[in-house]
Amino acid sequence: MSLRQSMSGLHTWGGLLPSWLLFVIFFAGSLACFDKELERWMRPALHQPGVASLTADQVRDWLHERAPNAHAWWMRPPSEREPFWWAGWEPEEGAEFQRFALDASSGEVLTDTVGGMFFFTLHYELHAGMLGMYIVAIAAMAMLIALVSGVIIHRRIFKDFFTLRPAANGQRAWLDAHNLFGVLGLPFHLLIAYTGLVIFVVFYMPAGLKVAYQDDFGALFRESTGYFERGEVGRPAGPPASLDTLLTDARQRWGGGEPGWISVHYPYDEAAVVDLRNWVSSRVTDFQWTLSYDASSGELLHEQKPYGAGYQTQSWLTGLHMAQFGGTPVRLLYLLLGLAGCAMLVGGLRVWLAKREARGGYGIGLVRALNGAVIGGLPLASLALLWGNRLLPAGLAERSRAEAMVFVGAWLLVALWAVRRQGSGRLGRDLYVVGAVLALGLPVLNALTSSQGHLGATLARGDWALAGIDLSLLGVGLLCALLGWRHRQPGEVHQAGRRESRRLAEEGV
Amino acid sequence: MLWLSFALGYLALTALCLAMNRHHKALLGGEPSPTRRRGLRLGAAVAMLLALVLCIAAQGGEIGAVIWLCQLMVSGWLLVGLLAWRQRWALSMAALLPLGSGLFALLG
Repeated sequence: MSLRQSMSGLHTWGGLLPSWLLFVIFFAGSLACFDKELERWMRPALHQPGVASLTADQVRDWLHERAPNAHAWWMRPPSEREPFWWAGWEPEEGAEFQRFALDASSGEVLTDTVGGMFFFTLHYELHAGMLGMYIVAIAAMAMLIALVSGVIIHRRIFKDFFTLRPAANGQRAWLDAHNLFGVLGLPFHLLIAYTGLVIFVVFYMPAGLKVAYQDDFGALFRESTGYFERGEVGRPAGPPASLDTLLTDARQRWGGGEPGWISVHYPYDEAAVVDLRNWVSSRVTDFQWTLSYDASSGELLHEQKPYGAGYQTQSWLTGLHMAQFGGTPVRLLYLLLGLAGCAMLVGGLRVWLAKREARGGYGIGLVRALNGAVIGGLPLASLALLWGNRLLPAGLAERSRAEAMVFVGAWLLVALWAVRRQGSGRLGRDLYVVGAVLALGLPVLNALTSSQGHLGATLARGDWALAGIDLSLLGVGLLCALLGWRHRQPGEVHQAGRRESRRLAEEGV
Repeated sequence: MLWLSFALGYLALTALCLAMNRHHKALLGGEPSPTRRRGLRLGAAVAMLLALVLCIAAQGGEIGAVIWLCQLMVSGWLLVGLLAWRQRWALSMAALLPLGSGLFALLG
């Protein structure tokens, strides 16, 4: 067996099996580029631009009332993309973080929602914690393998660089599409899969951590980032220094730049430490330049040094993946490139199907059903989540949980439908129609439930973050309507001509 | 400035595309002469370089380079999409995009 033949088998099966999982990761990651904009869309109270008058000291008092004995308090001041305060606490070291969004002027807790972060979490751990992270890592490895084997088996990388023949028979047209999105997007796909793995490399390859640091992650973290820590002394804390004064001092030391996350560790103890982190979007590396102060005297205890070469490298690669630099242009490009990755996966799945539909084979029904359930299901469930966000009553207990249930329920419904209708040739049309109704309805629902968030108001004041979401939904809805219209006749299985099949076989498909 | 660099990326890829027999035949008719082919490729390299310079001028070397590469990929899909569905627009776009975004950069 030649290298190309063996790589072809690897690409076909090693690509097919993780592709639905990769679709979920790619789709959720693409949406997560605009997680903060989605977050704001999902919180109608933030649609009207207000004045941020709440001070850091007031937020700390709020935390003190609710969790005086927490291991640490965390807060994040409002920014342009997130015009509200995040405030929360770690009940004990390493325990689950309790977080709340506070109105930046009144200080009231905003209505509970999963927010745009839902997609971010889905992207990197599938809402399954450490296990999900490992599953995502395996998918990323599979993607790297599929990319490399794909390059090896593709004979006409440069000859077909600009080739797309939508009028050709099914298999040829989908193969063109798969190649086009794979080859032109190759730099991005390689980069995103590789840097995605780099982020949690310490957990995926823990040998170094186990041997050199005796499995103490905190020690590794302190040594590599130069992060300051001092232990508790067991005496009660004195009256705290003003956080706002410390912030003024920090801004001077940073020479500009805004604060990101602020933390107070063991606030009940005399040795409590305030950490102020610098938030920058003008560099790829997220160097936080943490300033650590004594919480009661306000004395500067430590200033974080620039990262060493090793951590700097990892941090740069991580930053490249996270796209928190360069503002809207970078986020928009990453969104488009991520969606192109989705298109590559869909193209690959359709090639697999078209090839086997023409000459028969096992598993066609299963692949078709999975395509409908995942590729149709996830986008529709995401739209349903946004509907749930507006229709669930504000006072509902565990409201964010209910939103997640709407997402899961909608996805299950689509999956059941996909299994039932698989092979009828009408599944595509059904899903497009539902997508069109859900997407076109959302801007209307937004107008009905938010007096300042509808397109008339957002376009008038140039609020592109919100208007962009509504406009994209309208665009997606119209596209679905168009595709549904074109699929109004039951789809027919394309019969590949004999010559064409032979040519494709020669090209190692 | 970033629109202009995107337009230059599109222009560069269009030139590379025209330097290939099949696409030259489809868009302009006939095969390109070797001189023309070399000229197109040289032009593409210059346009790409200019686009990179613009990106770096707008966002610095580190972020500018990332934006440049991302823009090239996206403009490639725009070009191929036009070639597949609206062939005649592909070339007019190569003229209109740089002109429009150039004007936009000058006025804005």
